[in-house]
Amino acid sequence: MDWLILPPLLIPFAGVFTTLLLRKRRRLQAWLSFVFIVTALAFSLFLAQRVIFEGHTFVLQSGQWPVPAGITLVADPLGVFMLVMTQLVLTAGILYATGSTEKVVQYPTFYPLFLGLATGLSGAFLTGDLFNLFVFAEVIVITGATLTGIADDKYGVEAAYKYFLISTVAAVLFLLGVGSLYASYGTLNLAQLGELIQTGELRPLALAGMAFLTATFLTKSAVFPFHFWQPDFHAAAPTAVSAMLSSVVVKLGVYGFLRMTSLLFVNEADTLRLLLVILGVVGVIYGGFGAAGTHNTKRMLAYSTLSQIGFILVGIGWGTPFSIAAALVFTFNHSLIKAAMLMLAGAIASRAPVKSASFEVVLGVGKNSPAAGILFLLGGMALAGIPPTNGFISKLGIFWSGVEAEQYLPLAVIGVASILTLFYVISAFMKIWFEKNPNVKPKQGDLLLAPALLVLLCLALGIWGDPLVVAANNITASLADSSNYISVVKEASAALLQIPQ
Amino acid sequence: MNFLTALAIATMFALGLFQLMRRNTIRSATGLVLLSNAVNMFLFTTGAYDGVAAAYYQAQGPVSDPLPQALVLTAIVISAGGFAFVLSLLYIIAERYKTSNSDEVEGLRN
Repeated sequence: MDWLILPPLLIPFAGVFTTLLLRKRRRLQAWLSFVFIVTALAFSLFLAQRVIFEGHTFVLQSGQWPVPAGITLVADPLGVFMLVMTQLVLTAGILYATGSTEKVVQYPTFYPLFLGLATGLSGAFLTGDLFNLFVFAEVIVITGATLTGIADDKYGVEAAYKYFLISTVAAVLFLLGVGSLYASYGTLNLAQLGELIQTGELRPLALAGMAFLTATFLTKSAVFPFHFWQPDFHAAAPTAVSAMLSSVVVKLGVYGFLRMTSLLFVNEADTLRLLLVILGVVGVIYGGFGAAGTHNTKRMLAYSTLSQIGFILVGIGWGTPFSIAAALVFTFNHSLIKAAMLMLAGAIASRAPVKSASFEVVLGVGKNSPAAGILFLLGGMALAGIPPTNGFISKLGIFWSGVEAEQYLPLAVIGVASILTLFYVISAFMKIWFEKNPNVKPKQGDLLLAPALLVLLCLALGIWGDPLVVAANNITASLADSSNYISVVKEASAALLQIPQ
Repeated sequence: MNFLTALAIATMFALGLFQLMRRNTIRSATGLVLLSNAVNMFLFTTGAYDGVAAAYYQAQGPVSDPLPQALVLTAIVISAGGFAFVLSLLYIIAERYKTSNSDEVEGLRN
């Protein structure tokens, strides 16, 4: 059953080229992209059932080459969890794009690039090779930057330039880390590297490699000192794209840190965890104040991502099984909530007299769409962590695990900072739906189907969160002991013809 | 020889970093190229010291490690594509903002 890894990766990849060939027939192209991503999602859900709930781990050595020459694809619980989360949100993103009034979705390359983003993300979570992770991260960067560069927003190009420059520097750091680890251990296979670093002596460049990888993933997740590009970039991107960037693309760094602390640098994980707690707490405060002080709905939500990523990093940083499970639940829920909120912000902006999400423009625009108001309120409740939404479960998990780990100081700080969330969400809601604005005229805008589905899912996971919590617990159990991951990859490689020495 | 190689890569890296942080957008793009190539050279050297013979299937004696060469090929292609992308972005920026000073490209700042 190892071939099951391939469909979630190859289907979006095939979609890129198929939809590119259909660039003259826009409606067909849009719906075919949707079909591609839904099929990929169906396969990933099936994979999740087998991997997360039944405890199999699938490994595929591409081209039948053994480790370390061949690229390894691994479907382990953590990777598959992130995969399902990503493809769920991407499905909603394509659905939103099909009903969007923005000009950017009319571009012949919009859907191919979107599916390229899906390929990059799926590949990054399924690969078992550090260099391959770099390649997929670059696919994400170039598709994300191009999609932002073609945005309706006149500053899209500027934002894309900024992001691409920062990301290229991050890529340089990633390559330095890859080179350091390769010079030290002679392999880039994650399982083999993990085994060598854990059991062998620590080679001179290993810690340098760890530092470079840390800096890379901090940039990918836009954590506090590496965050400055993020609000600009996420606010200028087209709505359907910014909903992806701010929800799932930033989770690549979170995934990287989970892998680093559980597989690659297990013995040095405590140093890394301390760093994550400190940066996470600073991020929570900084993002909270940034969001409260901004004048644009999309920008507010982008700052809010800074603060929510902070919560996740604090959860990973505490390092107890409970807090890691809580961080995983938080990761999943935040992706759904933030995607829905950004889509709603974009939908409101599309109904405003001038197309902009700035508070001056969208003041009172909510009159045009009371339904969006209900969804925004529910999504805002989820973002702030009020029951019966899934945001409540994630925040409760983080706080509870903090009490259990007896980390009262960071807990107190993030507890106070999380009240800010409530403040800025409510203030945005009041400005859009309760202020009077004589300039607002009835106007049709983007369809609300995709955010409505995401908000419904948020509510459903808030009321019946069992599957998510069980999945998070299973993943945490698999992360606590990396020997299974290592031995599965080893067996798959040993079965193949070895390279003659 | 090892020292000279390391020094050359370090110089290239430093120059690239310095150029990248210049205010002129063209200069910073040049810095990007230097920086990516410096890092490619670094990656390339990680496999250079096993041997110097080409890694054919039936080569005699110690062969060089072929894996970093494959990695560098990929990295070169990616950085070349990225450079083309940056230049095209700079073209549009130069057209819209009529400047090559990155301080004046500040539409997002308000």
